[in-house]
Amino acid sequence: MNLHQLFLADLGPELQLTAETLRQASFAVRRNRNEWLLRQRTRAVIEMIAHTADQWLEPENQFRILALRDGPQETGWSPATLARGLDTFFRSITVESLEGLVAQDLGDARRLDDFGAGSAEHRTGRTSLAVGPELLVHLTAGNLPNPALFSIILGLITRSAQIVKCPRDASLLPRLFAHSLAATESKIGACLELVSWSHDEWNARELEDTLFSEAACVTATGSDTMLADVRPRIPSRTRFIGYGHRISFGLITKESLSPYSRKRLVRAMADDITAWNQLGCLSPHAYYVEEETSGTAETLAAELADELERREATEPRGPIGVAESALIQSRRSIFELRAAAMASLIERNLNRSLFFEPPATVRLWASTESTAWTVVLNHDARFQPSCLHRFIELKPVRQWSEVLRFAEPFRHQVSTVAVAAPDDRLPEIARQLAHWGVSRICPIGRMQEPPAAWRHDGRPALGDLVTWTDLET
Amino acid sequence: MTQSHSILADQIRTLIRRTSKPENLLDATEPLPADWEAVALSLFALQYETVPAYRLLCDARGRRPGGVRSWLEIPAVPTQAFQELELTAIAPEARARVFHSSGTTAQRPSRHFHHAESLALYEESLRPWFAAHLLASNTAFPQGLRPRCLALTPLPANAPHSSLVHMLEVVIQDFGGTGSGFTGRVGGDGAWELGLEATLDALESACADGIPTLVLGTAFLFVHLLDALSAQGRSFRLPAGSRVMETGGYKGRSRSLPRAELHAAIAQQLGDPKIIPEYGMSELSSQAYESGGRFRFPPWVRIRTIHPETGLDTAEGEPGILRIHDLANVWSVAALETSDLGRRHGQSFELLGRAAEAEPRGCSRMTL
Repeated sequence: MNLHQLFLADLGPELQLTAETLRQASFAVRRNRNEWLLRQRTRAVIEMIAHTADQWLEPENQFRILALRDGPQETGWSPATLARGLDTFFRSITVESLEGLVAQDLGDARRLDDFGAGSAEHRTGRTSLAVGPELLVHLTAGNLPNPALFSIILGLITRSAQIVKCPRDASLLPRLFAHSLAATESKIGACLELVSWSHDEWNARELEDTLFSEAACVTATGSDTMLADVRPRIPSRTRFIGYGHRISFGLITKESLSPYSRKRLVRAMADDITAWNQLGCLSPHAYYVEEETSGTAETLAAELADELERREATEPRGPIGVAESALIQSRRSIFELRAAAMASLIERNLNRSLFFEPPATVRLWASTESTAWTVVLNHDARFQPSCLHRFIELKPVRQWSEVLRFAEPFRHQVSTVAVAAPDDRLPEIARQLAHWGVSRICPIGRMQEPPAAWRHDGRPALGDLVTWTDLET
Repeated sequence: MTQSHSILADQIRTLIRRTSKPENLLDATEPLPADWEAVALSLFALQYETVPAYRLLCDARGRRPGGVRSWLEIPAVPTQAFQELELTAIAPEARARVFHSSGTTAQRPSRHFHHAESLALYEESLRPWFAAHLLASNTAFPQGLRPRCLALTPLPANAPHSSLVHMLEVVIQDFGGTGSGFTGRVGGDGAWELGLEATLDALESACADGIPTLVLGTAFLFVHLLDALSAQGRSFRLPAGSRVMETGGYKGRSRSLPRAELHAAIAQQLGDPKIIPEYGMSELSSQAYESGGRFRFPPWVRIRTIHPETGLDTAEGEPGILRIHDLANVWSVAALETSDLGRRHGQSFELLGRAAEAEPRGCSRMTL
């Protein structure tokens, strides 16, 4: 089976998009939204979304089959990695989770349907209604699909017409999801348009500017440079929500390193590292390991290496570009050199003056004859972004509070910190992380599994889209 | 028995002299000089014995002189290792000179140590290959006429740790005619700057005198020059036979121009001189020059490209990590693994760029 042509992005690069085409598309989805989607109840829309998500979990679902057949080619993920990522995402999309999201962000699950009042409003004799933007435009990034898919879901819940702009080489999964929604209810497809171009096409700026002038609200996901370029081009009456590049890391307290907990911990770490091959903003770049007795972090690193080797057999990383692989090789070779030199120095009791500055102790575990996975135990605790694709550093520290100092240069880029800590320590650790600026704290193993209601970069994702109408009586 | 550095340097000097006869240099055959590998193996034995940090690496990889039969088995050192380890056979008290890689002050630069003898070999290695690419087959330089050499970099006294500036100093001394010199300066932050007035004066008088001129500099200095010329609405027509040597790298000092654009702008604003890109680094003692889209090192240097996944040599034309085996690196380490990606065609290569910024701290600009 192949996709029939429903959206502009289905036509591929043969279609030379023009600003006029985009204006017509905006007009069409807005009209369809006003005539149909706007009149639907929240519950009905959520049921359609949840039904579609549920279908994706069925092995014989045609969209899932297509995603797993063609996805690896476009995305580079192995079918197993892709399947796990999609399953995790679609399992989180249920009637309960989406109604919970509306209730959390808007106070009640029906605030998008009727004027209503919370207790504070009640006292002042007011009611209010949340209204979504008439046309919502999303500029999506290509690193992994779920942010784009979830943006579409949010826009449906707010009953917005939507135009989703995908990178040229990352439109397949958003298109499949849009097709699956249209298969559930064809009128949803009529309120949604997907377009795709790459930023170096000659009229890319004109096309973007056309979308900005049509939209009531624009969301954009991408690098800080991309956001800085887009932000000033958004008309002042249009709402802009930008999601910049974020990094995440893990934190393991000394209590979590007992042989019993360690087994589960190692599997959970491997879950985080292999999920989407570490390419998401919520994926770990490093784990800080609180070390009471020297050697526990090393044991953990060795066990993690074994686990990643096992995962490679069941859920291989898949091929990557030569530049990415060269970067991994280059990082490995310098760590290998440090490790080898330090080992010989210690063994032969030579002095360390061969180094300009004595380096921190390093050990390296790596897949053989491939760059499939790399574990580095590095006593230099300064945070350094990973080159990803399953390349992880473990950094021993004496006390967890040192971590904030070592990660300080990246303070404003941190999204998620995954924490393994005993119940009596977690509240204080969480409080300090929150005050430092971390917007999400989760258990190790769940970094790439944010719940539907998570506050993206610390903001209410749904709440930020709506506009309130107050009715005073 | 291990030979001494001087004896090996003599052998390499002989190799350089023999293979750098003009008739041997540019015919671009595959001249693996018969004795190249023998010298490479002797040099490996010597460096294993006399460069302790290199020995550690070789031991860790289980490669020792007795067991290594082919130059392909000689362990290569990542160039980044020059930032951390003393990769030199020169005793601390004898280190007369050190060349640094470009880098921010926060970042440790590479350190390649030299003394008089190693510098002499460095110079012997650079001359014939520079001459073959920048001077030869140029009818505008009849016997005896020396071109004017205009280096956009700071003076050697102001950039003592730059191997590029040292190279240009040798070039000016040995090949430059009257009016040759340096026009750049070192700014308050220690970074190189274009000396705009000095450069414009020099270009003006080169045009007035009608003497073929070699303009030598880094890509970012050329961008600064071209931007200034555009801003002033000026351009020059350098005399016939003039050439430009551009050595890559922006290092955050200017906007990055795609190479084709940079070359087009140089052609337009300087009167269409021939442009010869150069590829060099402080960790090497020889340089590669580009012609016809491919770089080439002199015959005493061999290159390989290594597939990063498998660690094996890539097939011709397939991208891989560039390894350079420079026999003129007698007192340090000859076999180097760069962070650059290239496609090899025989012994020439297309440069594909850095391995996506191997240093996430950002490969940055030269500071002093």
